Amino acid sequence: MIQFGASLSAILALAWIALKLGLGGDTRIEGEAHLRELADEALCGFEPVEIAIDRAGHAALVRDSEGRVILLRRHGTHFASRLLDGHAHARLDRQFLVVGTSDRRFGEIALDLGDQAAAWASSLRRL
Amino acid sequence: MPDFSPVDYAVPGFVLLVLIEMVWARRLRRDAYEPRDTLTSLAFGLGSTIAGLLTGGAFLALFLWTWQFCLFDIGWQWWAWGLCFVLDDLAYYWIHRFGHRVRWFWASHVNHHSSQHYNLSTALRQTWTGFLTLGFAFKLPLVLAGFHPVMIAVCGGFNLIYQFWIHTEAIGRMPRWFEAVMNTPSHHRVHHATNPRYLDRNYAGVFIVWDKLFGSFEEERPDQERIRYGIVRQLGTFSLLYSVFHEWLGIAQDVRAAPWKHKLSYLWREPGWTHNGSRETSRMIRARWEARRAPVAAQNAIAEPREAA
Repeated sequence: MIQFGASLSAILALAWIALKLGLGGDTRIEGEAHLRELADEALCGFEPVEIAIDRAGHAALVRDSEGRVILLRRHGTHFASRLLDGHAHARLDRQFLVVGTSDRRFGEIALDLGDQAAAWASSLRRL
Repeated sequence: MPDFSPVDYAVPGFVLLVLIEMVWARRLRRDAYEPRDTLTSLAFGLGSTIAGLLTGGAFLALFLWTWQFCLFDIGWQWWAWGLCFVLDDLAYYWIHRFGHRVRWFWASHVNHHSSQHYNLSTALRQTWTGFLTLGFAFKLPLVLAGFHPVMIAVCGGFNLIYQFWIHTEAIGRMPRWFEAVMNTPSHHRVHHATNPRYLDRNYAGVFIVWDKLFGSFEEERPDQERIRYGIVRQLGTFSLLYSVFHEWLGIAQDVRAAPWKHKLSYLWREPGWTHNGSRETSRMIRARWEARRAPVAAQNAIAEPREAA
């Protein structure tokens, strides 16, 4: 029990030190080229023909010529993605598009897409 | 019979090296660590230790029981330790290879790969459910050959300790002779990469020669592409419990939904296999990448004609 307590304390201390050292950082999608790279990482060979990047650079949507859509969002200092399927849902809230995937754990993502939001909302409903 | 667990003595060294790497990250690569990811990885390590304490005794008992049937009595000579270490590493290679190629094994081993970071805390990101897989069976031939179970356990401990330091981006390449024989940070970065070129490569524990011998070696090519770490379908969450059990849940869902004749295939076939082709295996991803790459490589060959021999 003492060993468990000591190990748990060491773990929490190391995570706290990582936080206090300012490790991690503020990763954002830096532009179209970066997004294309992320899309290819998400699905090898995915070539976006339409893109929409959240104004803060935290998330994005990309569509390829086959009509497949990938939702990318920030995860720590990296990005995670999901290919949207028929179970995805989208909700428009002014310039925000809220997208949910069939993976409940991935969460609902609110993208600030400005003028593009409405067009993407209607296209996602047709998935 | 020695009663010695080398990993217990190594833990303070692990903590110290993680701290040193964090200072390196602070100075040169802040994104090499993410505090929430670090916390999850270290919690994996603690949980794995507890799981090991709860189940390790049963495996040792099984090994000791098996030992009565051993063919030779190798004993405790100095050379037996060296030989046992090498053969244990060979067994590790195959356990690890199965860990990536059979989904039942992968469900446990995926835990070690699910971080998108590659640092010393990732080394401690160990499974809680290893006892559910059949990895121990790969070491039974060593027992039957006459190596004492405790000797095998001690060698396995040193093997684990060796593998700690190779989980870092802070070290580039080691001297050529070392890279040729030993597993190194460079070789193991390849193993943790999700780039199609690197998927399911470099299974070695200590000696990289096994990969070269069994055709699974791939060299790191930092000049050609940036390595990305994690798994093909990144988790997207730092939730500890989900991270521990997500693949087991995935197997359960797939088995439940599959037609009867395909149910077992979701246990023994490779990760990503589906009866309806709705997902991809690493082999399929690499094949697609190679098909896309081939025309580019051919163009480059035309653009840069080589001199005749």
